[in-house]
Amino acid sequence: MPETFSARLARHCGLGLLILIACFALLGPALIGIDPATQSLGDSLLPPGASHWLGTDVYGRSVLARIAHAAQLSLGLALLAALSAALPGVLTGVTASWCGGRIERGLVMLADACMAVPGLLLVLLFAAIAPGQYWALYIGLALSLWVEYFRVTRAASRPILHGDAVQASRLLGFGKLYVLRRHVLPALTPLLATLLPLSAAQAVLALAALGFIGVGLQPPTPELGVMMIEFFPFYSEAPWLIAAPVTLLILLVLGMMLLAGDKELT
Amino acid sequence: MSSTQTSAWRGLLLRRAIQVLALLLIIGSVCFLMVRALPGDMAMRIAASRYGYDFVGSAAASAVAQELQLQRPLWQAWLEWLGQLLRLDLGQSLVSGEAVWHEMAHHLAASLDLAVTTLILAMLIGLPLGVAAAVRPGGVADRIALLFAVVLRATPAFLLGILLMLLLAVHWGMLPAAHDDQGGTLWLPALTLALGLAAGLARISRSAVREALASPACEFARSKGLSDFQALLRHALPLAALPVLAYLGVHLVLLVEGTVVVESLFAWPGVGHALVHAVFARDVPVIQGAALSMGLLFILFNLLLDALMLAIDPRQRKPGASDA
Amino acid sequence: MTQPEPDGLRRRLLQGAGLGALALACPPLRAQPAVKPLLIVSSWEISGLAPAASGYIFTRLQVTETLLDAQDDGTPKAALAASWKVSPDGLEWHFELRPGARFHDASPVTAQAVARSLNLARTPPGVLSMAPIRSIEATGEKQLRIRLSSPYMPLLSLLAHSSTMILAPASFEASGTVREIVGSGPYRISKLEAPHQVETRVSEHYDGPRPAIAEVRYMAAGRAETRSLMAESGQADLAYNLDPASITRLRQRGSVNIASVTVPRTVVINLNAAFSGLKDLRVRQALSLAIDRPGIARALLRDPELAASQLMPPTLAGWHDASLPPLQRDPVALKQLMREGGWTLGTEGWRDTQGQLLRLKLQTFPDRPELPVIAGALQAQWREAGFAVSVSIGNSGDIPLAHRDGSLQLALAARNYAIVPDPTATLAQDFGPQGGDWGATNWSSPVAVDALQRLVRGGLDKAQLAAQRKRLLQTLHDELPLIPVCWYRQNVAVSKRLEGVSLDPLERSFRLTGMRWKA
Repeated sequence: MPETFSARLARHCGLGLLILIACFALLGPALIGIDPATQSLGDSLLPPGASHWLGTDVYGRSVLARIAHAAQLSLGLALLAALSAALPGVLTGVTASWCGGRIERGLVMLADACMAVPGLLLVLLFAAIAPGQYWALYIGLALSLWVEYFRVTRAASRPILHGDAVQASRLLGFGKLYVLRRHVLPALTPLLATLLPLSAAQAVLALAALGFIGVGLQPPTPELGVMMIEFFPFYSEAPWLIAAPVTLLILLVLGMMLLAGDKELT
Repeated sequence: MSSTQTSAWRGLLLRRAIQVLALLLIIGSVCFLMVRALPGDMAMRIAASRYGYDFVGSAAASAVAQELQLQRPLWQAWLEWLGQLLRLDLGQSLVSGEAVWHEMAHHLAASLDLAVTTLILAMLIGLPLGVAAAVRPGGVADRIALLFAVVLRATPAFLLGILLMLLLAVHWGMLPAAHDDQGGTLWLPALTLALGLAAGLARISRSAVREALASPACEFARSKGLSDFQALLRHALPLAALPVLAYLGVHLVLLVEGTVVVESLFAWPGVGHALVHAVFARDVPVIQGAALSMGLLFILFNLLLDALMLAIDPRQRKPGASDA
Repeated sequence: MTQPEPDGLRRRLLQGAGLGALALACPPLRAQPAVKPLLIVSSWEISGLAPAASGYIFTRLQVTETLLDAQDDGTPKAALAASWKVSPDGLEWHFELRPGARFHDASPVTAQAVARSLNLARTPPGVLSMAPIRSIEATGEKQLRIRLSSPYMPLLSLLAHSSTMILAPASFEASGTVREIVGSGPYRISKLEAPHQVETRVSEHYDGPRPAIAEVRYMAAGRAETRSLMAESGQADLAYNLDPASITRLRQRGSVNIASVTVPRTVVINLNAAFSGLKDLRVRQALSLAIDRPGIARALLRDPELAASQLMPPTLAGWHDASLPPLQRDPVALKQLMREGGWTLGTEGWRDTQGQLLRLKLQTFPDRPELPVIAGALQAQWREAGFAVSVSIGNSGDIPLAHRDGSLQLALAARNYAIVPDPTATLAQDFGPQGGDWGATNWSSPVAVDALQRLVRGGLDKAQLAAQRKRLLQTLHDELPLIPVCWYRQNVAVSKRLEGVSLDPLERSFRLTGMRWKA
């Protein structure tokens, strides 16, 4: 189906937005050049102005500098968590639909069991094993996210594996790897491309949610989810504070949704 | 027909029963390992939760350890727990000393209230929006649905909750701000949760309805002279219901466990709140109880959904196609 | 006939409009009663019925009473005990109970019942475990005797603590665990839903004047933002433990009154005086000199008066010593002290004579939301002064644990010095020869121990009392076994419909009996 002009425009906008966010995360800290940990209690809660574009937090630290550093750390770690959930999820998903039979049933059962165990419990336990360590939180998150990848991959790869193209390839004597590379991966890539950033955003929000119940805070490292918690008490006095990390996350999600267009997964 | 149907039902029930067993085993083992693996002194944690930070100390911790026999070998405690579980006894909270069954019943009732209300609210908001967006792609409803989805995907629940509280409780004075056992305190937390779910529902029902509208059945219906609206109502919506139900199956988990933030913000006495506090306190029986009730609730919801899907879609009754 | 209030009417209209389906899923809205109960919201959850666990909630709600009460300055006041006297050697105390006192189940408050409650309260962490008690027994219908093995002056103060609250015999199981709360106060419990909620109403068996507020509901809500909005929307009548940002908002909006009182709680840095650099008094002093207390008080607590110039706040009469030189920031003196101690300042921080970098870890916990925030400020201020300190936020129990196993380095805590009305008891626990879980670690001073012993033994006249307190506080001030950071103020949002509200600086009571609705 040919793409309409407006759909293409939306995709380009989305891509542009994502590139902008990536640039901000990668180059922002160097360009802004303010130490995100330098406090100045006398400049607490300044509104946005010439010297601090996004104002200052309760410690008088520059919010812009902190957001830039946080974008780098959070988006990086969140993507990492999403990737480490995706890898086992995709592998088991493809295996299940490839092998079928007993193996598939076993894997589905495993996924069902994992879904029934509260993900929250897993994350809290990992947080308790290594208090204050971000990696522990992300492993916990990855463990609770992989099932989604399993389900999607399994559902998406089944029609392909049982489709005519794959049957033909097999009849022609091509090996498993070839089938994976030529048929399965290309079909999965767009799905994963949309699912990955969405679970990254989910990971950031999950970290904020954990911070809200008092888990995973580690001052003074700037992190988007933790910043939301830090800024939350000032929602009425200095609303621009909490708006900053939330806006960044909104832009990220918007970029992904525009890029994904109609094919998106929810 | 009826025999394939019963076998499909049997498969469904069997699968969920296995899930329940797996759940019991996993939660049991996780809790067992947890006691062993977690850093920090268990007696001290329990004392801190019981007596608060002003009174927690070595004397309090050793009194707790003695009272709860925490020095016992782990296998002994483990066997005792298994025995209790076989007798359907979840034991007593290490912090409050109350029976876990009793505590859980209280929390579960509150959680269920919240989950059901949220579900209904989310469907009331999300489905019409999604259908409207699908009927006129690129129209106003479509744009609103997209904006709604984007903003809610990126807004933490506590921010959404406090904004609703400000607007509906403080500014308009329509609803009470937080839980207090008076009527009406359910609406705000339910709405906070429902908005997030509604956004997802709107997106998924939009694409489901669009796909259904483009399906041969609908094309045929239109060619047979039905109006667009009639075709939508008679053919597209039933077809679109399946992916929507599948989506709910995955995301209902949000209702069971994603509520911790909302529960804590609105002081709602739900299971999530109990679980979090129990993990902080190393209150193993309550962790087990809370995790079990959350898992069972989740499985129950899914069982209901499976049954619904089975009832709607005859294709599902074929063996081997029970999940997608 | 009860008329629904306009508020309730609107709520019902809203519910009727299009949300009918929901009504099936939810409990129906009840019509508002003519007079709604007074709603108190605070952060304290009811973690169990044991007096040592959540007893303070029941004493604050005036459901239970203790043998003694305290005036605002901590002096003992009659409660269930109408009078008391001590033998000349200080080893035997006699109490005479209030004759008309009755429990909520109508049974009289007897000396046997009191002795039973008190004996059960002697296990840790009940405060009675601090006292050298030999026996507690009834010597008559209304007469009680407590025998000590050595004189212990703060006993009266311990008997005013919530863990020693007196419960009716019907409250206990045979094993001694508490089954329900049957107290003797002006209010009785009508509904208890742990951990979030208690409802009380006036007790028919109370022998004092009948309170004006007939029904009270207590709720625990974990977030300060929630509590403040509950007060602002008129749902809650009293909202305790508000955070600085919420108070700023409530002051601006003006829809509720704010009452506040300084409480004898101090945010302190506990430290291990045996840990590497912290052995050196100069390092401890330097750590203290690096702290910008007024900055923390102004920016983080929004209350400049809360900067702690010494351990005890000025409101704690008899314990605050205005003649002590105030603790303050002084970067120049800091550097000089460190250099005198043989430390050299490199780019990473201070190094000792062997070139070893001084690295410290500060532990704290999030139960009091201001603590992690203050820890963040301390970390930055220390970094500026050349101290490399990492912050770890964990459970409150980790701090006594680290104290016990010696792994403690620095810990930020909020210590309540009036856990019982007389600070002597808490100080004796914190600064005894062995140190204390929340006090000194590997530090003790003969002067402090001696002063504490004299204060505990009692029998001092006014001048001697002041002199011993001064000796103790002077030593703590000079040797810094812990570093005071800031004091604490209890802020409460009070509905404008309420009159007669007063706050208890010792946080023993909500003082409900003095309140009434505005006409």
